[in-house]
Amino acid sequence: MSGQVAKLSSEPPRRKYELLDDTGFDEVPKKYRKFYRRWGGPGDVLAPNEVLCPVCKIVIRSNRELRAGDRVYCMACMARLRVVEGQDGALVADVEY
Amino acid sequence: MSESAEVHALDPEAFEERVHSFQFWFEAVQGYLTDREYGHRPDAQDAELPESDRDRLVTVLCNYCIGETAALDGASGLVAVAPNRLTKIFLSTQVVDEGRHLEVLRHRLVELGVERPEEEIERRASPRLRDFRQRLEALVAERDWDAAIFAQNVILEAMEFSTFHMHTQYADPVTREVLVGIIKDERRHIGFGETELGRRLKHHPTLRDRLRRVRSELDPLVLATFEDAMEEIQVPRGERAELGRSYLGAVERLGVRT
Repeated sequence: MSGQVAKLSSEPPRRKYELLDDTGFDEVPKKYRKFYRRWGGPGDVLAPNEVLCPVCKIVIRSNRELRAGDRVYCMACMARLRVVEGQDGALVADVEY
Repeated sequence: MSESAEVHALDPEAFEERVHSFQFWFEAVQGYLTDREYGHRPDAQDAELPESDRDRLVTVLCNYCIGETAALDGASGLVAVAPNRLTKIFLSTQVVDEGRHLEVLRHRLVELGVERPEEEIERRASPRLRDFRQRLEALVAERDWDAAIFAQNVILEAMEFSTFHMHTQYADPVTREVLVGIIKDERRHIGFGETELGRRLKHHPTLRDRLRRVRSELDPLVLATFEDAMEEIQVPRGERAELGRSYLGAVERLGVRT
């Protein structure tokens, strides 16, 4: 247990992000819109606080840097997701049932 | 921390309660339907279509109407079968969505000069889609929740989602606006189907074999119908591989391989 605490505390602090209120995404109630944006296709580079919903292909955003193990929600398709490291080391989201 | 400060901090039960509510649905659709009349901006300019293109579009829209009618009948029948309050309420929002889809697509036919849309829909309906509709109706009549949700919210909705998305890239501006609005609703429907079945498969893994059989039976009907639609829309063959991607992704995640 103490080893786990030491490991956690050695992780660098997460970057914080200020989310813009209007991303142009209009499919969820107004107060949640800043947490989502449209995906621009394979050339769309995701920021460290973003991950793609595998179900409906909407970009999910957080106000902090995402890391493997984080839980995120896609309100556009109502999926509950877990952030994991993909084969290429990039963060991807897995659906949790 | 307030919800709007970080929505992902909600606990799962609170999230489920929120997104399966009529309140959530109402606030969501306000964002993209408020200024629409029959699915498009009232001042959207209709393009002059060559007669052959118009005729192909009418055929495609007639078949979309069949698909939406199947989903409307299916979702409304499933409200009574749904196992709990949240699934009942979500499905009742889906019923409203499907009714709207049928209405705007039928209205689009009228805008395209179709005088008797119901007759035209019957005349141009794909036999395979009719067959799919009958099979879905039978599953609902048997109160077979798992198979009916799989057929409707995974097979049919995912195929519609992909087909409509592809169609927007080739559609006239008014049809595109109508389809974009429908796609936004469909996201909720496909997500609901996958999550609901994923949860049930987790607790009842043997269900997977039944869903595989349903898939084997219904897959060909839906795939062939939407491939026909791609032909009518004249989507280049090289791009049609995209058609099943959303659907195949969902069945892969659920482990329902044939």
